[in-house]
Formats: sequence, structure tokens, C-alpha cells
Amino acid sequence: MSRDLRLCRTEEDTIIMVMLSKKVDYPGPIRELVQQLRRLPGIGPRSAERIALWMVQTPDARATDIAAAISQTAARIRPCRQCGFFAEHDLCDVCADPARDRSALCVVERATDVIFLERTGTFSGLYHALGGKLSPLDRIGPEDLKLDGLLERVRRDRPEEVILALGADVEGEATASYVADLLSREGCRVSRLAQGMPAGAGIENADDLTIARAFRGRTAFRP
Amino acid sequence: MTLERLSLRDFRCFARLEAEFHPQVTCIVGRNAIGKTSLLEAIAVLLRLQSPRTGSLQYVIRAGAKGLVVDGFVDRRHLQFYYSAKRRKLALDSVEQKVTTSYLEIARVVYLANSDIDLVRGPAELRRRFLDFLGAQLLANYREILRSYDKALRSRNAYLKMYPSRPREVQAYTKVLLKFGHQLTALRAFLVERLEPEVLRAFAAISDRGEVVCLHYLHGATLDFERALQESAAEEERLRTTVVGPHRDDVQFLLHDQPADLFASEGQQRTLAIALKLAQAKLLATDFSRPPILLLDDVFGELDQTRRNRLLQQLPPASQQIVTTTSLDWLAELPAGRVCRLEEGPAPADRLIVDYPTGSRPVFRPKGPA
Ligand SMILES: Nc1ncnc2c1ncn2[C@@H]1O[C@H](COP(=O)(O)OP(=O)(O)OP(=O)(O)O)[C@@H](O)[C@H]1O
Ligand SMILES: [Mg+2]
Ligand SMILES: [Zn+2]
Repeated sequence: MSRDLRLCRTEEDTIIMVMLSKKVDYPGPIRELVQQLRRLPGIGPRSAERIALWMVQTPDARATDIAAAISQTAARIRPCRQCGFFAEHDLCDVCADPARDRSALCVVERATDVIFLERTGTFSGLYHALGGKLSPLDRIGPEDLKLDGLLERVRRDRPEEVILALGADVEGEATASYVADLLSREGCRVSRLAQGMPAGAGIENADDLTIARAFRGRTAFRP
Repeated sequence: MTLERLSLRDFRCFARLEAEFHPQVTCIVGRNAIGKTSLLEAIAVLLRLQSPRTGSLQYVIRAGAKGLVVDGFVDRRHLQFYYSAKRRKLALDSVEQKVTTSYLEIARVVYLANSDIDLVRGPAELRRRFLDFLGAQLLANYREILRSYDKALRSRNAYLKMYPSRPREVQAYTKVLLKFGHQLTALRAFLVERLEPEVLRAFAAISDRGEVVCLHYLHGATLDFERALQESAAEEERLRTTVVGPHRDDVQFLLHDQPADLFASEGQQRTLAIALKLAQAKLLATDFSRPPILLLDDVFGELDQTRRNRLLQQLPPASQQIVTTTSLDWLAELPAGRVCRLEEGPAPADRLIVDYPTGSRPVFRPKGPA
């Protein structure tokens, strides 16, 4: 039974187990390190403990290098002023690249979506990350998205085409519809990724080939 | 397909329960309120991740507990499902599943209960739940489309309720609602169309006389969803919610051209309800290589011997059957299998499944409700 129910070994269970046992635990600093590691995504109590022990037991673990990399990354990376993608400077590598095609603008939900599209190598224009999607159930409205920035770019740079590369899930489609409506008022040509993207899912769930095909086969957005 | 083992934790009245099942028939005997219906519901939740009894799993968690676990083996595949208000997790053969597709491929079920008569005379919500429970098992995209429609509907309603009003946001969600609404309507129409001849056949096989049964799919938005939505704008503004659409769908049953809820006798209504479930079993048995697992909740006690036998004959052959009952009077009619008792365990909310000693036919003493 206990083996079969591994799945439900929840945080609460672990806490209760720790509370009940008065046995000796690791010294304070190790416990603190385990606590910190557990805050990382995808790291459960077991993995956290394993990593912490590896750091104190392995002679060449070079924990200071890891610590430095973590704190520097956080300090040096910021969102690109123009498109919202990860940047080391004011502008990201895409926006700063003079070779990129400035007549095409691709709107994505999150900064990480830029990476998925870049990997397919099908698009050479610029991006704009909205930073979310219209989802009233999570209390995220248009005012929480980077729409003002998008409108400003469209008015200023007058791109020939704006491509909406938003997910095929409910909120992704509603957001696409909302943005298309907004941009068509600006007299802007709007298209969207072709069908074939996984239904009900964001673009991170599609493989490179699917994204590339959907990109090439994009269609004009009917408002 | 065969359910071999089941473990429960904090499911309805069960703090814990362990059960094993016979490949053909397992008959579970127990007094009222001991948890027979809950046990069958747990099997449905394990295999389908949804309850045929309630729309939301939150009521299924044992009162006072944080989350429930259902865990079991079907054809040696290990299914595990954890559900709480905050989290849901599922695993197939100890590998966590991010999507439900592979998990839900493992098994299909049909749940028959006395309360099925409410399908005929109860509210439309029950008929929609019946269609959805079948649709999610029979048609590949049904579950995803239903969930998407539901989410679009709730989102749109959230915007309709906001003040000052948000026409552009509502409009954005209207498009998505229409898209998934059209898809859902098409799937439901197809389901009703496939059900009708099977219901007719099953009804005739159980009742004595050949009676004409018709199923009518009543659209919750007339045929043109888009126009119905436009026409309901005034009412929408007053009620601040979406008033037309597949979430208002219904199915009407006609017996000799008369609505069965108003004109059919109680016996006919009961037969019709059983026929609906048999039709469901037939469709699932036809479309997939192995028949569904049948969960029969206290249905035999209410039927006379002739209808009991006819029902048994209509069940897909070679299907595993898990049967509950309070009374053993008719047990001799059941095909061979295992007969056991569901009773209280040592701790207050624990339950045990105990075999009757072999050779001794259990003597049954009816008890009143607890
Ligand atoms: N979420 C819950 N938490 C705790 N107990 C619950 C919960 N939901 C239902 N129950 C209780 O579980 C008990 C068993 O109910 P169930 O319907 O399974 O019994 P049953 O054996 O099918 O009874 P009957 O023979 O009357 O049909 C009932 O007493 C009910 O009140
Ligand atoms: Mg019951
Ligand atoms: Zn940039």
C-alpha cells in the first residue's frame, strides 16, 4: 500500500513526518540549503537533499561558482525594453540585430516562446511578448498585457505584417482575437499561425516542424 | 478489460479501502450507507478521472480530508490519481502523466444505477452528464472540446459580470465560445444519432412489447448558435451571463411520440433508463476491441426475475461486472464469480472487503438504513 501511494506523498505528509520524529537531523546550514533548493521548480525534498549532500561531500563541487552564476544571472538579465525577451542590455539580441527584418512583427505570449520560434529558424523578423494572455478566471485582463507597447511599435514602425503566434488553447485564441481586433483598427495586416498547432495547448507543446509549418502556412486573421 | 485491484484513500466515506476483483463477476453485499455506491464511483473515477454522479470531484473527497487517492491495476497497468482542491496528479505505471490521453486509453466503464431513472424524468443536467461521460470515452476529442467550451463559457461570463462593461473582451471570448460550441454540438448530435438505434434495440429486448423510442437532441441555442447569441444580447445584459449555448442542451426521449418524462409509466421509464446504459455499453463494446467494465449499482433488486434475466443477457458478453446489492435473494441467478461483503473495519472510517467462506451460501438478514 505505501509503495502504491507514493504519488500522494505530499509536502504536508513530509512535514508531519519531520514533526513527529525527534531524531537527529542534519546540521542547520545543510537544512537551510535543502530548504532553499526546494524552492527551485521541479526539485522535491529528495532531490534537494541529494544536491545539498553532493555540495558538501564532493571535493570539487565548486559551490561558489554555482552561487556566483546564480546571483549574476539574476542581476544581469532583464526584459528587453522593446520586445520583452531576455536581454543583457537595454535591447535584446534580436532587437539589436540590424540584419533582422523590420517589416514583420511576431506577437507571442511569453518571452520563452521567442526561443521556440527561433529554434525553428523560419522567422527573421522582430518579436513582441505580451507577458500573458487574457484570462479573466485568473484575473488577468488587457491592462496586464504589454498592449500599449505593441500599439506604440505598430504606430511608429508600421510593420507590413503582424503575426499572432499565440497558443491554440481557449485563452490563447481569445487573446489573438482581442489583439487582432485592436490592430485592425490601426489598419494593420494581421495573420495567425495555421491550424495544426496542438489544439488546446500553448506553442511550447508543439515540435519544431509543426511550428515551422504553421508559420509558413499562416493565414490572414478574419476579424 | 479487467480491473484487478483497487486501493482508496479519503474517498467519500472511505478513509482506506483495499479490494480485489474477479475477472468475471464480483458481487459486493453491504447494508445501506456502508459505501457500495461510493466504491463503484471510485472505480469510475480511477478509470475515467470523472464521476458519473457529480460534476465536480471536490464533493468526493472524504469530509475533513485534503485530497483523495484512487490507485489500481487494470490488465496489469498501474493507474494512480490524486485529487485535491489545489492539485491533481496522475500516473500510469508510476510515470507521472502531464496529459490524460494515454491514461484514459486504458479502460472504459458503464455505470448502471437505480437512480438512472432520473435520466428520464430529472433535470437536463443529468442527461448532459450522461452524454459527456459517454462522449469522453467514445470520441477522441470530446473531452478536450468540452473542457475548452466550458472554460470559454466561464471566461465569457466573468467578463459579462464586470462593471463597467467590457464589450471587447466579451467579443473576444464570443469567438472562442462559438468555435468550441459548434464542435461540441456536432459531437453531441453524432452521439445521440448513434445512441438511438441501440436504445431502441435494448428497450425492446427488456420490455415485452416492441415500443417505439425516439431520442431528440434539443439544442441549447437553436440551430444557429451565432444568431441565437446575438438575439439574446438583451437578456444577457440583464442577467450578466450567457443564456444560450450547448451548456443548455438537452435530450428528449419519446415513447410512441409522447415525452417519456410525462407519459411513460414508472416501469417504462426504468426500462428506458436501463436501455440508455445498455446502449452505452454496446457502443463502447463495438468501437473498441474489449468490452467496457460494467458497474451495476443495486439494479437487480428493483427488477422482477424476468427483467433481471433479460438485463443479464443484454450485457456485453465477456465484460467484467462489478455488482453491488443489499439483498442476496436473487444471487443464484448471477453467473459464477466472487461474492463478498463490504463492512466496517477496525478504525471508524476504514472499510474491509471480506469473502464469504467457500461452500457456505451467505444467509442474508436485511437491516434498515443506518
Ligand atoms: N465526501 C464524503 N465524505 C464522507 N462521507 C461521505 C461523503 N460523501 C458521502 N459520504 C457518506 O458515505 C456513506 C456511503 O454512501 P453510499 O451512497 O456509498 O452508500 P451505499 O452503500 O451505496 O448505500 P445504499 O445502500 O443506501 O445505496 C453515506 O453515509 C454518505 O453520507
Ligand atoms: Mg448506493
Ligand atoms: Zn527585444
